[in-house]
Amino acid sequence: MKNMTPKEHAKMQHDEHSHHGVSIEEKEMNGWKKKLIFSWIFVVPIATFMLFDRLFKIIIFEENIMRIIILILAFPVIFIFGWRTIKQGIKGLFTFYFNMDSLIALGTVIAYATGFLSMFGIVSDYSGVSAMIIAFFTTGKYVESIAKGKASQEIRKLLQLGAKKARILKGNKEIEVDIGEVEIGDIIVVKPGEKIPTDGLVIKGESAVDESMISGESMPVDKIKGSNVIGATINQDGVLYIKATKIGKDTFLAHIIKLVEEAQGTKVPIQKLADKITSIFVPTILVISVLTFIDWLYISKDVSKSLGIAISVLVIACPCALGLATPTALMVGSGIGAKNGILIRKGEAIQTMKEVKTIIFDKTGTITKGMPEVTEIISEMDEREFLKIAGSLEKVSEHPISRAIVKEAEEKKIKLLEVKKFHVERGRGIKGIIQGKNILIGNRKLMDENKINYNKYENKIMKLEDEGKTTVIVSINKKVTGIIGVADAIKDDSLEAIKMLHKKNYRIVMITGDNEKTAKAIALKAGINEVIANVLPEDKEKEVIKLQKNGMVAFVGDGINDAPALKQANVGIAMGTGTDIAIESGDIVLAKGSLIGVVSAINLSKETFKKIKQNLFWAFIYNIIAIPLALFGTLNPVVAEIAMATSSVSVIGNALLLRRKKI
Amino acid sequence: MKKIKLTIEGMHCASCASNIERAVKKVKGVKEVVVSLMTNKAFIEIDEDVNREEIKKAIGKVGYKVVDIEE
Repeated sequence: MKNMTPKEHAKMQHDEHSHHGVSIEEKEMNGWKKKLIFSWIFVVPIATFMLFDRLFKIIIFEENIMRIIILILAFPVIFIFGWRTIKQGIKGLFTFYFNMDSLIALGTVIAYATGFLSMFGIVSDYSGVSAMIIAFFTTGKYVESIAKGKASQEIRKLLQLGAKKARILKGNKEIEVDIGEVEIGDIIVVKPGEKIPTDGLVIKGESAVDESMISGESMPVDKIKGSNVIGATINQDGVLYIKATKIGKDTFLAHIIKLVEEAQGTKVPIQKLADKITSIFVPTILVISVLTFIDWLYISKDVSKSLGIAISVLVIACPCALGLATPTALMVGSGIGAKNGILIRKGEAIQTMKEVKTIIFDKTGTITKGMPEVTEIISEMDEREFLKIAGSLEKVSEHPISRAIVKEAEEKKIKLLEVKKFHVERGRGIKGIIQGKNILIGNRKLMDENKINYNKYENKIMKLEDEGKTTVIVSINKKVTGIIGVADAIKDDSLEAIKMLHKKNYRIVMITGDNEKTAKAIALKAGINEVIANVLPEDKEKEVIKLQKNGMVAFVGDGINDAPALKQANVGIAMGTGTDIAIESGDIVLAKGSLIGVVSAINLSKETFKKIKQNLFWAFIYNIIAIPLALFGTLNPVVAEIAMATSSVSVIGNALLLRRKKI
Repeated sequence: MKKIKLTIEGMHCASCASNIERAVKKVKGVKEVVVSLMTNKAFIEIDEDVNREEIKKAIGKVGYKVVDIEE
């Protein structure tokens, strides 16, 4: 938003807030904050009394009066501010849907009850302790909710990215409407510094547009008449007139949000063990604490001491750190990814990525720009006549090469002819009849199959292929009349990205339908020395399977025709270039077309997985050390509670450190 | 088969998420449940004719509130 005037900026911020209300996260945070403040108001005097009593043996009140005062002070802490926790916990105990509240509830209620029992001399008084447990518990929860908010910050930013208003052109009047009222086909006026409200097509005007929030690409992109623009990107210096092409749920931003949100619902396999433990954790701890009480009672014959230790066990055990270990790291990781145009769709990919040995790149649209252009026309016929026939037949196919030839014909204003009985031969070319003549356009295979001799052009074909150009042969009534060379330039940073991957010791393979020579020439330019050429679109999947015999494989493709290969690969990385995002096929989708994104995606996955492992390790270690400590009576219940609160906060804190990593 | 997305209020720990998963799975016609603690969302795969109210009730019973259902 750097190019916005302060006034516009303020307005936009205002819009964002007024439309958003209070989120669940904020509500949760505010709730804990309130509980925390009130709890401490009551707990501070309790703690003071207890301190004087224990440390200095100063008796402010007579013993029983003191007990009653503490019971009264502790009551609201537990049964008002801590009520939701207590209620949830007790409910859990009865319905067998145990949660960590069950542990806290049981611990505090028993501790509170000792306040009454102590008056009859049965046990010593833990009621003050019970209030302190709740106070520390709410404090821990509050800090945790702040940390959780931080962890989901990037994703929430994404949700708020969309524009709220649009200025549409009605007649020659500009009227401002809510974004929800914009319809497909509306003409939207976007002034410098404003957000582009929705996906559309520029019909008038020229400007640079900052797309960094969507693609992570920091350089502004020039937009002219006919360019596609993406909603939520920022128009920088010119006025753009845009025809809305996609609205609401169908926009690119909406797709990204859906994708990132859904990813949070996917599991990372390493979490499975932690999940299993979490699900039996609470009942196990309940049993352990009962056994602890019985054992200690048997050994020490001291009810008070046994009870204190049992309470410590209840409150120190923390399933939260275990349960939060993976989701928090995944959340932070996918947030950072989204900011950089790397959309993690499946949590599993993060774990699989580190096992990947081979990366297969599709050629067209992945290594190359995917926009082939005609570079050579060699024919014995008149060039326009030749192109007329070629263009007419190619018009029936949607293949990128066909489109390049049609475009060439159209640019030369050649009127195309009617085609009869056409047939697309997959991976070979096209057949058809034009003005009664049998036309064949395609590669050598097609010519060989139809016994057409192309020897006359063989040298020229070879020369074009050496330059990395795809060559099609045109035959009229079984006689070759010429060839067309089509080149698809490689993307600017493909070479750099491949170099980086080679440095990381990946085996890099390029796969393509082109013939060996053309493919090799292109691969060379991109720095790739292993090529699988002549592959039919439907066979890419089989090639992936073959390579999988040597270890895990990642496949990078542009999503549409590569879907089966992307699915077959251990990690599918789809290039979601522009607005035609191929959501369903990849485990990871790159919003930006650049191959550098592949390098970043690998780094991000590895770093995120490292964090998950660290978190799980610490969460396990915490419980493995803390529970026995409590069990052997070395920890006071209040200390136990502080330790518990710290453990879950530290897991989230550690996940947040991921944001400092450069990817 | 249909996918729905619920927004749930009141989850605050890992066992909350697994409790909701357990409770919702018991509703007839529910195929798959994944609860995301971090986003307060539940992603549920169900048969077409499953009553949304029943899912809400199941979640309510274990102590959480469904604030939004997206189809």
